[in-house]
Amino acid sequence: MKITVTIFLLTLICTAQNLFAQNEFSRQYNLALKFYDEGKFYDAVTECKRLIFFDADSQYTYCAYMLMGKSYKMGAKFSDAILNFTNAELNAKTSDEVFQSKIEIIRANILRRTTDRALQLLDELDDDKNFSSRTAGINYWRGWTYIFADKWKKAAVSFSKIDSCKQLEKLCRQVDDDKYSETFSYLISHFIPGAGQIYTGNYVSGILSLGWNVLWGYVTINSFAANRIFDGLIELNFLWLRFYNGNLQNAQKFAVYENQKIANKALYFLQFQYKGLKP
Amino acid sequence: MKKIFLLFIFFFTTGFPQAVKQNEINLFSPANIKKFADYLFCSNDYLRAALEYEKYFSLYPNDSVKFKIATAYSKIGDYDKSALMFDSFTKSSELFPYAKMEYFKSLFQEKNYFRLRSSILNIDSINNFRFAYQAKELYYYSYLFTIDTLPPESIYLAHFDKTDIRQIKNFYEWKTDPPHKSPLLAALLSAVIPGAGKFYVDQVADGITALVATASLGYLSYTDFKAGHYFRGWLFGGLAAGFYAGNIYGSAAAAQIYNVKIQFDFENSIGVFINAKNFFTPGINFCK
Amino acid sequence: MKLFFLILLFTVQVSAQNNGQKWGKANYSYAIKIDDGQRDFSIDSKSPERLVLKSILDSYWFFISDVDGDNCSFSPTCSNFFLQAVRKTNLVQGTLMFFDRFTRDMDIYNKFDHYPEVEDGHFYDPVSLYTLNKNEIKYIPPSVVIKSE
Repeated sequence: MKITVTIFLLTLICTAQNLFAQNEFSRQYNLALKFYDEGKFYDAVTECKRLIFFDADSQYTYCAYMLMGKSYKMGAKFSDAILNFTNAELNAKTSDEVFQSKIEIIRANILRRTTDRALQLLDELDDDKNFSSRTAGINYWRGWTYIFADKWKKAAVSFSKIDSCKQLEKLCRQVDDDKYSETFSYLISHFIPGAGQIYTGNYVSGILSLGWNVLWGYVTINSFAANRIFDGLIELNFLWLRFYNGNLQNAQKFAVYENQKIANKALYFLQFQYKGLKP
Repeated sequence: MKKIFLLFIFFFTTGFPQAVKQNEINLFSPANIKKFADYLFCSNDYLRAALEYEKYFSLYPNDSVKFKIATAYSKIGDYDKSALMFDSFTKSSELFPYAKMEYFKSLFQEKNYFRLRSSILNIDSINNFRFAYQAKELYYYSYLFTIDTLPPESIYLAHFDKTDIRQIKNFYEWKTDPPHKSPLLAALLSAVIPGAGKFYVDQVADGITALVATASLGYLSYTDFKAGHYFRGWLFGGLAAGFYAGNIYGSAAAAQIYNVKIQFDFENSIGVFINAKNFFTPGINFCK
Repeated sequence: MKLFFLILLFTVQVSAQNNGQKWGKANYSYAIKIDDGQRDFSIDSKSPERLVLKSILDSYWFFISDVDGDNCSFSPTCSNFFLQAVRKTNLVQGTLMFFDRFTRDMDIYNKFDHYPEVEDGHFYDPVSLYTLNKNEIKYIPPSVVIKSE
């Protein structure tokens, strides 16, 4: 009887201790969380590190690494963030946790603009049978990856596979429609100097290019026609070709520049006005 | 007997480990703060380590922790703080000679050579300072970084370890007689032969370009004048004169840049050397 | 073009520690960094010769330089270098500096060994190196990549 009582009492104490232990760690996790919420990301990382250091049973290790990754992400330290999300993945106990940490790695890669790596990881998730029920999530981040890779058409295709993402799909299609074709701009300037510039809305530059090319083309051809071969060659090389080449460069440059402006307008909307989940 | 055995088993399987755990559980107990700080320190997370050590130090001031705080600040480049802390060790402390050397190192890294030298001269007043030899090495080495006149070579070199003598001798010779190029000479050379000044300052391709440009434009000008094309003659002549004068100017400028460059390389070498030598400071490894 | 530069590979004294300071939320922009290459077409009326020079350069930029392609491998470009040189020194010295710069621009060899590169691929060659004022020369090793904005 006596021993039964003793054991009962001891068990009670141990349970209390166990509870106490859990509370201490959860309190520590909440402290880190509090710092994170207050925007004190450096301190949040410190407290996560402390938690991981003392949490020998790794009860909170996954959560702490995730929080650390998120803190680094807020500080735009994406490589550190990825390192910590990877540690979280290694300490994940359920397939859900594995999925969450992988998605965080992908999101940090998107922001770091290492979109090739993000796509590679998304492909791996796609191939993993454990996550076959999560294709919507995978496609969502694939869409964002393509946005950051400046491939808006592919982004639209990814979003089109998700019913709730019509707004994003529309936006991406719009950007893709609005963008100028860099190849077309470059190409038409081969035939009519200045045409690419005019196509991208840079009329003055286009007309100037056309003018110079007509002028030096005329002078050069005249020289050849008058059998002044040396003069013709000099004019061709140093004047006509110079401006012809400049015309091609500008046709491409303006197309890239205008496209960047169009993309940035959409990116601005996505960062500051779009309400859904963002990387 | 059975009861005792059962109790024993119980304690060691559940109770005892929990008891140990409970000791670790207060994450902010002084002992745990120090433990965590040690971990941070040894994983090179120095700012966090310093902040944790400071918490501990405010409760239990001791020299070893103070040394670590100062080291952490030195590692993150806060030499003001580290110098101040290393300088605060008293002679009675076991770590005093180490701290003193670290103090010198911080002054050196802070580029405060004047205070460094006066502080090192002061150690003569300390009886049997353990690292007096190393301190003197640092003292003399600092002369390479300043514009002060160096002591005669034999006296200078006598203060260094035999294994370093060859390297130090090179530095000494460079410092006392730097292989600078004269901007004036470069300009004069280019005035005589266009481009020659650039050759002199190791910009051979620029020199050739200058020579070709000046000579060909000069030749064009000459033939045009000869053929009675005065406008072209003046045009090319003017350009040739521009390139000629520009090259004289540019040669002088290039000589100056050359000098700055080799000075940069020299400072780089002496910096690399002193870093490799850990500033002649013995240091303490806390993370064995 | 404004040049902010950040030296990435400075390993002279102590290797950089990125954990030396507490950090907080960083400003991050989704937007693509755009180099619009806008010219400064403003009028410079500090002195008559500068007014004339700037007007000539403005016309040159507008009618020729902006439409004849990227022909200068340096940053700042030769015409900009000329303008800055004259502003920093005087017309005569600036002209000498320009001729020297032009010679170096024509030299097609070993630029990689002598000049640090700006991110956009041009070689960084600022006016301050050539004013003959020793103290203005800040040497940057060719291995360094300079960020432009």
